[in-house]
Amino acid sequence: MDKRMSIDEVVEAIPSGATVAIGGSSISRKPMALVRALARSDKRDLTVIVDVGGPDVDLLLGTGRVRRVIYAFVGFEVLGLAPHFRRARQQNLAEFEEWTEYTVMAGLDATIKRVPFMPTHATLGTDVLKVNRSFKEMQDPFGGETLVAVPALAPDVALIHVNYADVQGNGVILGDGHVDVLCAKAAQATYMSCERILSSAELQRFGRDVQILRVYSKGVVEIPWGAHPTGCAPDYRTDLRHLEDYLKAAQSEEGWRRYESEFVDVDHRQYLANHGGPEELVSRLKV
Amino acid sequence: MPLAPGFNIDEVVITAMARQLHGEVLVSSVTAFGSLAAHLAKRRYAPDLAVLSTPESGMDVTPMPTLTLGQFLTDVQQGIPLTMEDIFDAIFRDRFRIWINPSQIDQWGNTNITCIGDWYHPKVALVGARGIPEDTSHLSETFYYLLNHSLRSVVAQVDFRSGAGNGESRAFLGRFGAPTVLVTDLGVFSFDGPEGRMAVRSLHPGVTLEEVQERTGFPLAVPSGKIPETDPPSPEDIRIIREADPLEVRKLELMSGPEAAEKFVAIYERERQTFHATYPRVGKWGR
Repeated sequence: MDKRMSIDEVVEAIPSGATVAIGGSSISRKPMALVRALARSDKRDLTVIVDVGGPDVDLLLGTGRVRRVIYAFVGFEVLGLAPHFRRARQQNLAEFEEWTEYTVMAGLDATIKRVPFMPTHATLGTDVLKVNRSFKEMQDPFGGETLVAVPALAPDVALIHVNYADVQGNGVILGDGHVDVLCAKAAQATYMSCERILSSAELQRFGRDVQILRVYSKGVVEIPWGAHPTGCAPDYRTDLRHLEDYLKAAQSEEGWRRYESEFVDVDHRQYLANHGGPEELVSRLKV
Repeated sequence: MPLAPGFNIDEVVITAMARQLHGEVLVSSVTAFGSLAAHLAKRRYAPDLAVLSTPESGMDVTPMPTLTLGQFLTDVQQGIPLTMEDIFDAIFRDRFRIWINPSQIDQWGNTNITCIGDWYHPKVALVGARGIPEDTSHLSETFYYLLNHSLRSVVAQVDFRSGAGNGESRAFLGRFGAPTVLVTDLGVFSFDGPEGRMAVRSLHPGVTLEEVQERTGFPLAVPSGKIPETDPPSPEDIRIIREADPLEVRKLELMSGPEAAEKFVAIYERERQTFHATYPRVGKWGR
């Protein structure tokens, strides 16, 4: 089956109020072209699930698409804090639920394994257990030990970006895998963007690096530079200069409007042109 | 700077960190200080360590701190790729160590990277607990470092417990995940004071107990007799650190404001060139 779609068709398939899991990790291999399309859409009240979030969560908060965020971390790593996340948390502009790296993975895994929860010791003795209203303390039915029950996380949609895919929806990830496979398996519908579409014969040569299996994917979109400004090893490194500009823009309302009109409210071709085009990006970001 | 002349604080701290590591465990590289400590330890003190190039990938690489090239390092050195499941399995099986750089740590060794102020109405929303709750419920040794030992960072009680320390945090946890050591710009501290509270283990050359107490938000437990001086780095330690970090990414952690911004840009522009000069392409991405 040929699962190729356009960016707009992916956005159309996501209803307001949907729960969307996003792959990647902070400033690495986020499906940013799909996220930008969602950010400039009229979708509302999304619940976003991220293990380690960055510009993805921050942009969706900054453009008012989000009602609720489930996260272990949201930040820009070496560049510091995420500005819209920080403002939204401090001014209670959305609902936030703090999880942890493993518990997000466990919640997705519970859905995959079709069980209501996964037990863990993680978060015992911390305040995460106090503020997270979804977790419950439980007794081990065999030995009586106190554990934490992490409920299943069941995303309607997963958005991920990979290096290569075939039209059937198999995907190759060459750098760190992050939690993309869990997102892809747990969601009702997984939409995958890729740097390049290859033939299925070419894709199979990647062996174990074919991490996304077509039985889990609903749509494939070829979007070169689709993770930009986050990095996509080995195709390009993170564009820290763009992310610095983003952080500056987010400091004022005027700066942010300007950023939106130049880099969010434009299609992907124009987005790349506003960076000086692919050649300019290659010279700055190719490793 | 209270440190005795002739010593660089980064090299004193990294060496003190390196000397804590031992055994055959994975060591994650989240910060420049953490990865250099792992590298130095492997070269000089703990040859069986399995050092990673990023938080989640590339087992058995020689780390080289960069801003964006950790995943590329895995490839050029043909490091063994890992998954997030491998990382958390190693944490749960106690085959993992990490140097955590918290925003706050308290007298019990509770740590905070989540927020300043109340979680529901934070004065400053930081990044979220990430994987610290997993570490503080499973590892037999947990390591912390701070480069700005002050009343704001070393406090009587953290605003939020992202990580579980000693005292009441241990109620359902037992010994796994209890704090082991804190290295700061002033000294080395353990958590074997009364009821597991923070105690002075050694002070860096030139640092006095009065200075440390003045910059600590609670009365420190002090060993009887003369307080030992932290063993300073040897010329060999210093050589290894400098060779492993030709871009001086470690210095960024000690800087702020315009100085940091300038250094940051310089490293970002130079890192690809330095990287290729140090490691010619031999991984599968370059073939």
